[in-house]
Amino acid sequence: MSTAPAATPGGTTMGIEAGAALEAQALVRCFGATRALDGLSFTVGRGQLFGLVGADGAGKTTAIRALAGLITLDAGRALVLGRDPAKGGVAVRESLGLMPQQASLYPDLSVAENLRFFARLYCLPRALFRERSARLLDITRLGPFLDRRADALSGGMYKKLALACALLHRPEVLLLDEPTNGVDPVSRRELWALLHELVHDGMTVLLSTPYMDEAERCHCVGLIHHGRLLLAGEPRALLATFEDETYEVEGGEREQVDQGLASLAEVHAASPAGATLRIAVARGSAGTVAGALAPLAASLRPVAPNFEDLFLARVRQEAA
Amino acid sequence: MTRPMRFLVRVGAMASKEVMHIRRDPRTLYMALAMPVVMLLIFGFGVSFDMDRIPLVVLDGDRSVASRALVRAVSAGHEFVIAADSDEATALRMIRRGQALAALAIPADYQRDLAAGRDGEVQLIVDGADGVVANQILAKIDGLVRAESLRRIDLAAEPPLQVKVFTLFNPEARSALFMVPGLAVYLLAIAAVLLTALTVSGEWERGSMEQLFASPVGRLEIVLGKLLPYLGLGMLQLLLVVAVGAVIFDVPIRGSVALLFFVGFLFLAGMLGQGLFISVVARSQLVATQAGALSSLLPSLLLSGMLVPIENMPRILQALSSVIPARYFVHAMRGIMLKGSGLSILWTDLVALTIFALAILALATTRFRRKLA
Repeated sequence: MSTAPAATPGGTTMGIEAGAALEAQALVRCFGATRALDGLSFTVGRGQLFGLVGADGAGKTTAIRALAGLITLDAGRALVLGRDPAKGGVAVRESLGLMPQQASLYPDLSVAENLRFFARLYCLPRALFRERSARLLDITRLGPFLDRRADALSGGMYKKLALACALLHRPEVLLLDEPTNGVDPVSRRELWALLHELVHDGMTVLLSTPYMDEAERCHCVGLIHHGRLLLAGEPRALLATFEDETYEVEGGEREQVDQGLASLAEVHAASPAGATLRIAVARGSAGTVAGALAPLAASLRPVAPNFEDLFLARVRQEAA
Repeated sequence: MTRPMRFLVRVGAMASKEVMHIRRDPRTLYMALAMPVVMLLIFGFGVSFDMDRIPLVVLDGDRSVASRALVRAVSAGHEFVIAADSDEATALRMIRRGQALAALAIPADYQRDLAAGRDGEVQLIVDGADGVVANQILAKIDGLVRAESLRRIDLAAEPPLQVKVFTLFNPEARSALFMVPGLAVYLLAIAAVLLTALTVSGEWERGSMEQLFASPVGRLEIVLGKLLPYLGLGMLQLLLVVAVGAVIFDVPIRGSVALLFFVGFLFLAGMLGQGLFISVVARSQLVATQAGALSSLLPSLLLSGMLVPIENMPRILQALSSVIPARYFVHAMRGIMLKGSGLSILWTDLVALTIFALAILALATTRFRRKLA
């Protein structure tokens, strides 16, 4: 992790570095009246682990499909290793690995058969296939389930198989659409360990996730909202720019507290975290907020800011 | 690895995957192999245009030697059976109820008129609800009555003119001979279009198309990989249908078997291409099934000349039938199986089938865009 190349700091449009692995240049794509991508721009350097974070419907899947050359764009340009994935032909596609969000394997084929099919699509020599699949089966611990049909795998095992299929040809660039969605915590940790290993070996990885806490594990994160990038940069650097103060609200009646906070302009974000309520308030306005909460028998306890606070505050700021 | 090598490896990957899908889904095999045979048996035994033992009511108003001789002449063969010998009211009631299909009325002075050298007039009442049936009854009665009049004129003398009819290729006018080649075409068309219509739309529905498009596999490689296994299955189906026709319905193959399968191959390629085109456009298995069934079933049943002679169609339908590949295959199948026709006669059919197959496959491949949206 510490050897990771420094990410381009902040800003929605970052400078195009020479030899960037992935570039989204002002991507626009509309589905009917919805602008799924609305001028999305970002760059992922070679060997980076880039996390595209955003809520459901923010445009993550469309962005990944645009980078894989799977959709037509209304405007803008997507580049994979400097080439247009839609026109680049076989060369681009051989350097690309994709793990789609929804089921994309053949349910009636077994684990081994799915692997073999994708290996043949990439024209992998038999010996190389045996070697790589053995290693991938070992890492994903799918070895004992070789003969199990894909539709009989659990959610986590299915995702791991999909990842293994996308990794067989050793792509230079790996695109993962919500790889951890619907995966149990243990498998999730394994998946992340595997991703770090791949990046360590020089692979460029772009993944999308709705989970804010996963953002901290990336070299670089981008916050996508309504098809645009609101924030991008190295996680720690981004957090350092966060000017709000974060608190946990203790005590009080939840509904009354919510109402009381909604009327305050100083409160930039509020999110329930378990039984407590987390809020981000403008720097120096804690006193005002505490004063407003006092009659409701609630008080503030300072906590360290995290990504969720930053992102929620930024999204709310955007909406205002 | 060279480019052509890679091409072959990918086509092989797609094809062998398709074979696994087929082997694991018994419905596909049933649809491809069992359904055509079952349908061939049902149609072959069930659909018959040969009429015999037609129920006939006799209204003999004369009851003379001459009238009885006429009734005997009509009912002597296997064409007609006398359902009743009754009056007009009963005859009409029986026709209305479907107990009889025709009534033969002989007037009271039939024998006297004949003896006096006048024309003996008899009346035939036919159930005209089914035009085909009515026509057959008219033709059969006409022939029988004509024979009876000739016999009456002079038993010894040779009739001045005689027409001897030789029906070539199907002398007994057996429906099976006429139907089986046509049916084979119809069944192949449905199965081929449906099978491929389902396979590409299945990739869309499973979500696997996304993974395929992100991989280096080309559109032509996908199309060919999908086509080859079903082409093999289709040829197996053709073999089965022809074999059932030969064994059970005694349908001959008078021409070249190799030519038969070559024409079948061209026809199948076109039908598979049509299914592919549908599923490339439809993207959902439900829509693809319906469009596939309609686009293969109706034209190959109605416009191919399988049931209705193309010469009898209105001009506009004749023109339409000229772009239906089934028309050429029906013509070629009947030619090869019944007439023993060879390439010198059937080459136009081969050209037409080749053009259709190439055009539809090109259309399917170009319309097959490498985009999810």
